[in-house]
Amino acid sequence: MKILALALALLLPCVAAGPEVDKNRTMGNPSAPLMFELYSDFMCPHCKLLHENILPSIILDYVKTGKAYLIFREYPLQIPQHVYSRPAAALAVAAGRVGKYQAASDALFKQQNSWGMTGKLWDAVAPVLTPDEQTKVKALSQDPTILAEVQKDVDRGMAAMVNETPTLMITYKLKQQPWSKWADYSFFRSYVDGLLKK
Amino acid sequence: MDFLRNNSLKIAVVLLRVVLGAIFIYAGYVKLEQPWQLFAAGIAEYEIVPLWAATFLARTLPAFEMLLGLMLVIGRWSRTSTVIMSGLLVVFFSLMVRAFAQGKDISCGCFGPNETISWKTLLRDGSMLAGSIVLTVMAFCNRRTTV
Repeated sequence: MKILALALALLLPCVAAGPEVDKNRTMGNPSAPLMFELYSDFMCPHCKLLHENILPSIILDYVKTGKAYLIFREYPLQIPQHVYSRPAAALAVAAGRVGKYQAASDALFKQQNSWGMTGKLWDAVAPVLTPDEQTKVKALSQDPTILAEVQKDVDRGMAAMVNETPTLMITYKLKQQPWSKWADYSFFRSYVDGLLKK
Repeated sequence: MDFLRNNSLKIAVVLLRVVLGAIFIYAGYVKLEQPWQLFAAGIAEYEIVPLWAATFLARTLPAFEMLLGLMLVIGRWSRTSTVIMSGLLVVFFSLMVRAFAQGKDISCGCFGPNETISWKTLLRDGSMLAGSIVLTVMAFCNRRTTV
């Protein structure tokens, strides 16, 4: 019995911590029943649509209500058209280190059409940062630990068989379901509400 | 029809029937394994039918595909099953061609959610349609033979 109690005590921190992630790239309560991991690419037009039109509803319905814990995962697609995806992901993660992940990702998606053509990512992100933060983020965006964090997300997505963006990996009671169909939010809501009733 | 008296041709037709039937059973099974809402959302991406129809189709089509596939594999009611299959494939193929021509970057929804419409998927479904039409013609040409 003592051994069992000791084993449980040792395992508890692992269970509570959940998947390793920078807290700046999360939203909501880590102990919420649902976990949403959003794999997206800053150059993907569908990700922009999801970020601007559907994500606010997901946050309002599930994250703010304590039903879901949302984790933002970087998933820069390795295709020739998405040449700036990885630097954009690194810049957002770097901004996350100074507590500005959301602001940076909002800015990157908002101005996707412009930096997507020119590659001038900094012009999109800089205005949401203070001068002090700008200096830090600029240095951090080239930091190997940031690039490794992006790669870690990519590896995690590949292991979970994510093959398109945006994909929301829904985890409930240890069961995972990828969701990548965003034509209508009502189907997603119907599925998630059904899960919560189980 | 004389050409159905040819044994090689008969075997080829039976093979085609079993392969197409198995593909339909697999397609239905893969969809049933997924939440119906995911398939409904996939149907909605085509922007053809209203949401209630997408819901209805998502809840019924996978089981119907499996039943149709089974009918084809066992070779019963060949005329009915081949006509329905050809009709379904004409609809599927037309919708895919339309979506592709419109430049829609959506999943075809044929075998689960993650298969974007491309030349490859069009070629595959087009071949299935051609095969199904051949089976339909054979079923009507040969009253006695179970094709």
